[in-house]
Amino acid sequence: MLAVPDWTGSLRLLAPLVALAFTRPSRTEHPTPTPLDDVLTPLLARAYGLALRLLRNRADAEDLVQEAALAACRGFGTFQRGTNFKAWFFRILTNCYYARHRRQRHEGPPVDLHETPELYLYSRTAEIGLHQNAADPAQALLDRLDGEQIATALQGLPEEYRVVSTLYLVEDFSYQQIGAILDIPVGTVRSRLHRGRRILQKLLWRLALERGVVPEAAKEPG
Amino acid sequence: MNAVDRYSCEEVFRRLNDYLDRELSPAEMALVQEHLDTCAQCAGEHAFEASVLRELKAKLRRIDVPQSLIAKIDAILSDPGLRKEE
Repeated sequence: MLAVPDWTGSLRLLAPLVALAFTRPSRTEHPTPTPLDDVLTPLLARAYGLALRLLRNRADAEDLVQEAALAACRGFGTFQRGTNFKAWFFRILTNCYYARHRRQRHEGPPVDLHETPELYLYSRTAEIGLHQNAADPAQALLDRLDGEQIATALQGLPEEYRVVSTLYLVEDFSYQQIGAILDIPVGTVRSRLHRGRRILQKLLWRLALERGVVPEAAKEPG
Repeated sequence: MNAVDRYSCEEVFRRLNDYLDRELSPAEMALVQEHLDTCAQCAGEHAFEASVLRELKAKLRRIDVPQSLIAKIDAILSDPGLRKEE
């Protein structure tokens, strides 16, 4: 289990940690990169990628990564050397996201997709004959959707599934790592991820229908 | 491998997501793989699901980091004001 602090509160709560935590020298005085630079800078692209997929807005994603980096700076002294910095930082990032999300509360329309069967896309693509016409029918379908469209489908997941699924799809974290980042049991990660995957397949199919990338005749039953 | 050790289609189906995510034990991974090697139907379903995940991951990860963010983070890491709070 990762030894990471709970950052869910205001950043002001982190202030007392600063005296103990922030030991980074000024670059002008000490040009040699500090350990924080070494471990944080290489993660920026991935952190921004996760933030963008969670928030769908570039300015908000930048703000979120900036907020998380600030919290990481201030709390770096609480990071236990030798443990997983990436998971530690992404926990800060997701907690900043939750704090921000609670403030903004922009839930999408309710989703009635909880009973989506397994192998949803497999069944739908088989029904329209894609399995006979393509060596890789999944790729043949998803090649017609770009990253932004897929992110739109991901955004349609209920919150508890969306965050777990985003951590998995964007960062490829293990169930255990996701559990440590979100402070939830591995079994909960597993169930949310598997159910979220089924719902996402249904959302992707709906999107494919809406965008006309599969024939109208293939509309889902019911 | 004995026949009694082998997984049925149903047992493989129940473990398909965990197999795709490499979250099974080595022994379970081997049993699923052994079934997929001999069952065309399950192998087809597995290949489809694996391809879906591969495509989703690849497309969701194609993101360019704005230079403005790199500059902001560099400013945070270099901010002497933070040091004043020590």
